[in-house]
Amino acid sequence: MHITMVKKVKADGNPCRKSADVISELESLGLLRSIGRVVAADERNPKSEGFELALQHSVEAAPFFIVEQEDGTEAVYTAYSRFLKDVFNHDVSETKQALEILSQNPDLDFL
Amino acid sequence: MIQTQVREQGLDIAALQDKYAEKSPMQILEFALGQFENIAISFSGAEDVVLIDMATKIRNDIKVFTIDTGRLHRETYQFLETVREKYDLEIEVLFPDTAKVEALVKEKGMFSFYQDGHKECCAIRKVDSLRRKLANVDAWITGQRKDQSPDTRASIPVIQADAAFSTQENSLVKFNPLANWSSAQVWKYIRFNKVPFNELHQKGFVSIGCEPCTMAVLPGQHEREGRWWWENSADKECGFHSMNSVKPN
Repeated sequence: MHITMVKKVKADGNPCRKSADVISELESLGLLRSIGRVVAADERNPKSEGFELALQHSVEAAPFFIVEQEDGTEAVYTAYSRFLKDVFNHDVSETKQALEILSQNPDLDFL
Repeated sequence: MIQTQVREQGLDIAALQDKYAEKSPMQILEFALGQFENIAISFSGAEDVVLIDMATKIRNDIKVFTIDTGRLHRETYQFLETVREKYDLEIEVLFPDTAKVEALVKEKGMFSFYQDGHKECCAIRKVDSLRRKLANVDAWITGQRKDQSPDTRASIPVIQADAAFSTQENSLVKFNPLANWSSAQVWKYIRFNKVPFNELHQKGFVSIGCEPCTMAVLPGQHEREGRWWWENSADKECGFHSMNSVKPN
């Protein structure tokens, strides 16, 4: 299994908030070393690899994960909590799951 | 009263999106309420009351739910009662999980959203409750409209597979019958059909949510400006929108 994480880098060179939070949490969980590659969608370079991957997989927000299995199958995770559960069998609290739903679906703000 | 026969699922969502994209809200509701037995209307206590008015003209057994975050305006609670009585409805009121709210307030106080942003509070008080409810229905109906937010709702379809709340066990369908209506069209319907409305609308409120996070707007201001006005564009910083207009070679 090979995992690629795509993070977003803002115009000021810093990662976006969610990317930074996820990297920090993966590190604290001891899982960051299981991420094969971390590539950037860099606002300063619209042709950066992370941006191309986002377009290729029709992903609208960072971070996201591409998981390639030995048999060649590939899965794209835009939901961090689902990624943790499916790939690492790590449970995420209901509150964090709800927060992620809201972050991934900003149209729900007005409900 | 229009007679409907509830049919089984197994919908071709893409084909239905094309078929119903230009249909009226009433036609979309007729399809939704005819297709699903276990379907519910999400009512926010604002102008989405038009959905209830329309739906009661289609079926007399509609299911309506609302989320009481515990922070709503007095006028909204009064309006929920007005609607319940006028349409002779049982409105299912969802409440947030007590332990989660207590933990949030204990750790961060009653107004953490002014410092940390609204999403954590909304996740606990609103989304968590909504997810619990939606796990037990096959489809739901919202009052979401494209004109409510150019940033987040400009592309919502009238019908969609709900990727946010579907689970491996439950494929959820979401209907947004008002998606293509403007605020003016909604209010024209309200006035023409003498539909009751939340008193807050007469006080300058356009978008109505929780009391601490909602304010009246001035004429010409977009309704989005009446919600979470203290927050900047940080929420958008993880999106790829700004880059999506540039295609790689």
